[in-house]
Amino acid sequence: MKEIMAFIRLNMVNPTKHALAKVGYPSFTCSKAVGRGKKPLAAEAIQVIMDNAGSVPADEIGEHLSEGIRLVPRRSFSLIVDDEQVALAVKTIIQVNQTGTPGDGRLFVMPVAEGYNIRTGERQIKELDR
Amino acid sequence: MIMIMIRAVVRPEKSGLVLSELLDAGYVGVTKEEVYGRGRQKGIIVGEVHYDELPKELLIIIAEDADKEDIIKIIMRNAKTGENGNFGDGRIFITPVEEAYTISSGKAGL
Repeated sequence: MKEIMAFIRLNMVNPTKHALAKVGYPSFTCSKAVGRGKKPLAAEAIQVIMDNAGSVPADEIGEHLSEGIRLVPRRSFSLIVDDEQVALAVKTIIQVNQTGTPGDGRLFVMPVAEGYNIRTGERQIKELDR
Repeated sequence: MIMIMIRAVVRPEKSGLVLSELLDAGYVGVTKEEVYGRGRQKGIIVGEVHYDELPKELLIIIAEDADKEDIIKIIMRNAKTGENGNFGDGRIFITPVEEAYTISSGKAGL
């Protein structure tokens, strides 16, 4: 079993959910998160301000932006799949979430040692043994 | 390249300092979540009141294995309270990461 952990845009949770359900992975866990990527400055936030005001304001907000430690809200989206299903799940998540601009998110694959079904108490070897 | 996920549970008032120190050291990418939990001391017991869901912040950092010691040192140094540290300063967990992708480019790797 592997855990796929993706940090995605807030508005992408629904499309991701539906796309994964379509290819056969209906189960997932989602939670609120904030974070920063390779770029210390939130490019999107500045773009919005540039569009509205024409330039980054020289007041408090501008100062705050230039601090470089802004964390932007994202959703942490994680699901557990079998080893052989990782490639399809990863492909699906990337396809749905890709807009081509920085900030689309990151995706990580980690090994899971064991899984248990609480209702039945059974040890799960394969993710789809439900 | 071996990749690892470092999960650090730290005091909410310390996370800002840890994040800015990580940034200064060049570890930019990070995710933060609000979490609640208790540790080995079973939370805090004040008289008859038992607080066992203490607010903490979870910092998630994906890094190369080579940077592990450096990152842990930065977190340890900045998340600690007082000289010797106190109960509730938090924990750090390391998990192996097998694959990593950037969604915008679809490329594998950090």
